[in-house]
Amino acid sequence: MKPTLSELIRPYRSVSIIGMCKNAGKTTVLNRIIREVAGNGQTIALTSIGRDGEDKDLVTGTKKPGIYVAEGTLVATASELILHHCDVTREILETTGVSTPMGDVVVLRARSDGSIQLAGPSITKQLARLGDTFRTFGADLVMIDGALSRKTLCSRSVTEATVLCTGASYHKDIDVVVEDTAHVCRVLTLPELEEGETAGQLRELDEEFRGTLLFTEKGPWQLPAGLSLEDGLRRPEAAGTKTVFFGGAMSDGLMKPLLMSSAPLKGMTFAVRDSSKILLKRENYDKIAIRGIDLRVMESVNLVAVTVNPFSAYGFHFDKDELMERMQARVDIPVINVEDNAL
Amino acid sequence: MIDLKFEQKENIGFQYVLDALQPNSPYGEEAIRKLKPFTPTEKPELLRQLNNVHRVMDGEALCQNDLNRMLRVFMCAKNIRTTVVKCAEAALNEIELFEVKRFLLQIEEMKPYFEAVQTAMHLEGVTLEDTSEALEILDPEHNRIATFYISDSYSPRLRAIRKEKKALEDVMRRVKSGPEREEAQAKRVRVAADEEHEEGRIRGELSESLRPLIPAMLHNMQTIADLDLTVEKARLAKKYGGVMPEITESRVVLENMINPQIADLLEERGKHFTPVSISLEKGATVITGANMGGKSVALKTIALNILLAHCGFFPFAGRASVPLFDGMHIISEDLESIDRGLSSFGGEIVRFNQVAQNMSEGFAFILLDEFARGTNPDEGAAIVQAVTSWLDTKNAVTVLATHYDNVAQLGSAHYQVIGLKDLDVEALRNEIANSHGDVGVELIARHMNYGLYRVEEKQDCPRDALNICRLLGMREDILAMVENNYENR
Repeated sequence: MKPTLSELIRPYRSVSIIGMCKNAGKTTVLNRIIREVAGNGQTIALTSIGRDGEDKDLVTGTKKPGIYVAEGTLVATASELILHHCDVTREILETTGVSTPMGDVVVLRARSDGSIQLAGPSITKQLARLGDTFRTFGADLVMIDGALSRKTLCSRSVTEATVLCTGASYHKDIDVVVEDTAHVCRVLTLPELEEGETAGQLRELDEEFRGTLLFTEKGPWQLPAGLSLEDGLRRPEAAGTKTVFFGGAMSDGLMKPLLMSSAPLKGMTFAVRDSSKILLKRENYDKIAIRGIDLRVMESVNLVAVTVNPFSAYGFHFDKDELMERMQARVDIPVINVEDNAL
Repeated sequence: MIDLKFEQKENIGFQYVLDALQPNSPYGEEAIRKLKPFTPTEKPELLRQLNNVHRVMDGEALCQNDLNRMLRVFMCAKNIRTTVVKCAEAALNEIELFEVKRFLLQIEEMKPYFEAVQTAMHLEGVTLEDTSEALEILDPEHNRIATFYISDSYSPRLRAIRKEKKALEDVMRRVKSGPEREEAQAKRVRVAADEEHEEGRIRGELSESLRPLIPAMLHNMQTIADLDLTVEKARLAKKYGGVMPEITESRVVLENMINPQIADLLEERGKHFTPVSISLEKGATVITGANMGGKSVALKTIALNILLAHCGFFPFAGRASVPLFDGMHIISEDLESIDRGLSSFGGEIVRFNQVAQNMSEGFAFILLDEFARGTNPDEGAAIVQAVTSWLDTKNAVTVLATHYDNVAQLGSAHYQVIGLKDLDVEALRNEIANSHGDVGVELIARHMNYGLYRVEEKQDCPRDALNICRLLGMREDILAMVENNYENR
């Protein structure tokens, strides 16, 4: 028997939900979890990165389901949305001083069921502090309505588990939906750099460091600005390089010439801070493995499920069983249909 | 009016003192931002504040714990002054009501500590108004919890609406789809609108009942600000050695003053600030001394401590007597803005004209640092001589630093930087000659006495410049010619 979504997230105290695109079914998933978890008598706390929960999708104009919370739920959202766009009976618990275009983020407790709209903090540090505030008010499970473009916020230092939502709205070709989603899953679940001297030295590094570090036989050597990695690897200073750490983004422009070069890359480890730093087209990403490079992250994402929505906001739909089967064939984690009642 | 520019406050080290204050509450922060020098007519308020600084310094030890607890109540709090002011004319929303309630709870929390502190310190004019009635309005069920909820107990109608809403929500929980659910859902939208409307009416009522208590709430914010700032002023007075100033009619006496910004900077380099003493009367006082001699430091220190006294701080001095000025003006070449497209000399003259034009506005303190130094020495000296004579007769205390000749005798008093006066120049010369590397300037700076002494009668030119030339090993033949020139003047 396949586990349900709420069973999958049960071990965790915080979960982020991200979508491959708009209308991928994120809100449906949130609503399902809210209903199931609240049914168990647990207190859920909700917030988002940026704004979500609008009545209408701002891009496609399709009607989106609102987030409907149960009595007792904790919510952190912008004051304007609380005052004008929530119909729960509210108890105001705390003002956070975190500002958004729609006013400061305020924490409330729902004293009735009802709909809410979310607009939470957009900075990792603020989100972590909000998590602490939620816990002081008794939250058992913190759920963050996330965004694929903000993968950093899925890092395990922010949320313990992540759910990825995909569906027909992503692309009209089912092959593209399945392959791109599988690619995102692979990037999100890249293994962490193994513990050891290199990992230890990287943890000491300033978070703002954007350069490239080569871990040579003589220790770390920073690639001089203006020098390409393929040329740098030929320098005597780079002798015996085992691991290369990229402080900035791993982009196609940076990686393509390297992967096409004759540089001896086989057996090397390439590391980035987290998967948000990997901005590669699938073809270049695949070449990394072909060249025998071991790609690692400092902080991985704990992806626990992929949900699929066979219905597109653009008016067509896939066969739900076909989508489920093909998706499941391409990823190792459980795939769940959002519209399935057994969710 | 004392209205110094930010650059001037920064230059004399006043901003440094403000930045050293570490208020606990947002109200204390606000008070520092809005800090203004007192005018002569506000003397009673200034004295009250100064007395309170004194009382905090004396009584702090007796109630340290209560004082800390009291101040900690408002740490990380939000300043809700604008919300309270808004309440006078408009209904507050629920987030604002929450903030008011939390503030009122904080007042209740600080009350016992405040009373203990007052028993020990007897601060003058610092009181806490009773706002428990306002808290009663926002917490009718006496939960005394810092969250806010428009309680059912405010109106039977609200209670009925919420009961109906709850019943519909129960239907929606039970029935997942179909006409029964859709009916409940549609009905709930209407009932939620009724709830919103009734809550709005109640918020209006609550805001109205809070209205008579607004003055008390604003008064308490003022009290918190006042306490916070006074405690911080006392802390700085202890840290840097401040003294209760005597407020005089016109005489300025400042003994052994320091300037924290410069003192801290020197401390970092392992050096010490030489305290400055001066007494000033109505009229012009001239400070002379060689370049390198610390005239500017003396001027900044005088200006800083006079301004501090006007703002209710203890001047950082061994003894301080300060009158209250109607105006305070600093004219210094490096502070005259080049952005007006004038040369620095032109800027100084324009600035001086403004000050001279406003001499009728009352008793002023005027400070001129090396006035007209940017022009040729003959003309510069003539200008400074005239300006000194003119200012000497005005309703102002003026201090001029200059290295021009024949200015000092035109003022009422003359101070000179002690400089190398009491030093064994020969011994220092040997020390410099025997040390390695380029340390001459450094050694002279270390032996230079930056203190001031009062010159009672006409004196010979101090010759510190000649001594510096000698110490730094200028050629003997040139030195001989310099000495010869001195004799022939």
